Order: sequence, then structure tokens, then C-alpha cells
Amino acid sequence: MHPPTLAALIEALHALPGVGPKSAARMAYHLLQRDRAGAARLAEALTAALERLRPCERCNNFSETPVCSLCANPRRDPRQLCVVEMPVDLNRFEETHAYSGLYFVLMGHLSPLDGIGPRQIGLERLLARACDGVTEEVILATNFTVEGEATAHYAGELLKARGLKVTRMARGVPAGGELEYVDGLTIAQAYLDRRPL
Amino acid sequence: MRGINNEPAYVLHSHPWKESSLVVEAFTRGHGRIGLVARGARRVHSTLRSRLLAFQPLALSWFGKGGLKTLHAAEWLGGRLDLSGRALICGFYLNELILKLLAPEDPHEALFVRYEEALQALSGAGDPQPILRRFELALLSELGYAQTLDRTAEGEAVLPGGRYGYAFGLGLVHANGHETSFSGKALLDMAAGDYSDPRTLAESKLLMRTLINHYLGDKPLYTRQLLLDLQAL
Ligand SMILES: [Zn+2]
Repeated sequence: MHPPTLAALIEALHALPGVGPKSAARMAYHLLQRDRAGAARLAEALTAALERLRPCERCNNFSETPVCSLCANPRRDPRQLCVVEMPVDLNRFEETHAYSGLYFVLMGHLSPLDGIGPRQIGLERLLARACDGVTEEVILATNFTVEGEATAHYAGELLKARGLKVTRMARGVPAGGELEYVDGLTIAQAYLDRRPL
Repeated sequence: MRGINNEPAYVLHSHPWKESSLVVEAFTRGHGRIGLVARGARRVHSTLRSRLLAFQPLALSWFGKGGLKTLHAAEWLGGRLDLSGRALICGFYLNELILKLLAPEDPHEALFVRYEEALQALSGAGDPQPILRRFELALLSELGYAQTLDRTAEGEAVLPGGRYGYAFGLGLVHANGHETSFSGKALLDMAAGDYSDPRTLAESKLLMRTLINHYLGDKPLYTRQLLLDLQAL
């Protein structure tokens, strides 16, 4: 049996996504035995993050200030609002340098079969944010999973009911894609989403 | 170890499992509802991940006995099934009904056909309500939970002008004026799959809801609330 503090540490690591009980135990031994300095840094970083990071009032992303630097940047176009599921999606968007508008991070998606409904994700905050009188277009960039699609539909209906222009990110054959190597479902969806030239 | 190859199936739901795998709840034609582990399906270059989407006609191959089986191949069968918008939420509702009412590994081939028909119908335009009511009745009948709707429990023919109550496990009884009752016409329409009369649609919704709630016990139906929320917009 583990001493209670060790058991608690393993239990805490086990709570991380994709970490089973065995991996959690391995991590705990590693931190305590081989990397005590790293363990201390981890503890400090966690404490500081918990203390200082709050959801940005505008975009719901993690921020050390009430309004994050991206939302406060006057060079961003406030007429466009891009809705993504997670901060990592926002980062992927930013890496493209193709978009200069603002964001809203839902921190999740609707998952009807898991009981995660509109109240469990920040849809009401999204509505309040999008109805600021400045936003003209809301771009729904949730994932192309069935849950992401359901989220886009639900959010889209709410936003359209308030008179906003709502668009959905396009899906289809990837850049540089040759049809010969693209899977059938992607081709079928690209056909359904075809656009006039 | 017996393997099953290329079984027609739909993914009902999936969730992450261990570091890089996925547990998939599937509804298969010949083996009913089964749980499968898709190993490595959450790795970046997994070809399985993009195929294991709900509402898409798939051919699944797996091996293993009891509990969770191991999925080793998934082929997309093609066809034009694209659920979007409200139809997509309705699709989730069908999946939730199957997950909560069907016992695992009981084959329900006839219901599989009805499920496929319902998805096909949902992907078209038009009111999804009759599609949902038809599937609910098919599911309840398949499970032996819905008795015949054109005869009473005593074997008398249901009359269009009559009013009937529903006794769980028994079937239709003459309305005694106390319980919720249904018109004979609505019951006969439902038995015939005809939902063109708005009154039939309303009464069938009430009857199906009563039956489903009874057999679900205290399990909540999350998607029903979501559909209600959407209608309230
Ligand atoms: Zn922000």
C-alpha cells in the first residue's frame, strides 16, 4: 500500500486525460525519485496558474488580465468573431496569420449523449459577447465531429435569432490534396459543400 | 477467438480510452449493440478516427469474446447520409434511445433496418417528428414494450371513434375516464404508420413519451431536453 500522500499524488495525476493508473504511478515515482527539482517547478507553476489565470471577459480564453492581450489589441478587426472549441484551436488559427478578427473559446462542445448541454458550455456567454453591437459576422469553427457540428448548429440558431450573420468554416479536400488519396467520406462531404464559381 | 468481418454497422457513441484509443458503441446489423476498442484511433495519423463517425454507414470487423471487443477494420460504405442541423440532434436522440433501451449483444436486425430508414429520412427535408415517432414505435415493439395498437388487450378491434387507455405490459384497454386516453383513430393511424393527421402526431408523442419514460425508469434522456430547447428558440 502507498502512504496516503503518495496515493493522493497518483490519484491526482490519474485525473489527467489519457493517463491510466499505471502511468500515473510511473509519473509520481519519476517526479519524486529522479526529478525533485522538476516536481517543485511543476507544483509552483500549477499554483501560480491556478492563482493568476482567469477566463478573459471577452473571449473566455485563459488570461492573467481581465481582458487578454489579443482581445485588447486595437489592430484586430472587431467586426469578426471566430468561435472555437479549445484554446489549442485558437492557436492553430493564429499560426495561419490568415485571420485578423477576434475569438470566442467555448472550452468544450455539446455532447448530448454525455449530458453536456448548452448550459454546461459557455453558450450564454457567447451570446452576450456576440451581441456587443460591434460584431457583424460570427464564424463557427468548431470541429467537424458530430459533436462539433451539433454545437455549431445550436450556437448558429441562437446567434441568427439575434440578427447576426453566421458562417461555418468550410470542410473538404485538404490543401494540396489529390482525390486519389483522399478518403471517400471527405470527398462526399466536399461534394455536398461545393460552391458556385 | 472468433472474428466478425465486414458487419454493417453505425457508430452510436464513442469516448476516449487509455492514452490513445477509443471505445466505440456500435449498432450492428447482426449482433445488435456492441462495445469495441479502436486501438490507437486517437493518434494523429490514425485512419480509423476519421471513419468512426456516427450516422455514417460502416462495415466493421472485430475479434474477441465478451465485454469489449477489438475493432481491427472500419470501411465507409458510402451513400448520401449527411445529417446536419436539427436532423443531427434528432439523430443523437435515436442513438440515445438505442443506448439506453437496448441490452448489449442482442441482435435486432429488423430494428437495424428501421434505424437506417430513419437516418435516411432525417437526411431529407421535412418534419422530423413523424420519423422520430415511427422509430420510437419500432423500437418499443421490437423490445416487446409496445403492444399492438389496432386491438385491445382483450382482442377487440380498435374503433376509430373509441377512446382507449394504455396499461403497461397489457396493452390497450377501454378508457375509464380517469387515466390518460388516446383516440382510436390516432392508434389506428400509428399502427398503419400514417402520421399525416396533426392530432395523431400529438397523441403519438404523448403515448411514446409515456412508454419510453416508463421503461427508462429514472435514466434521463439528455437529447430530448436539447430538442425542446431548440424548439423554444
Ligand atoms: Zn480575450
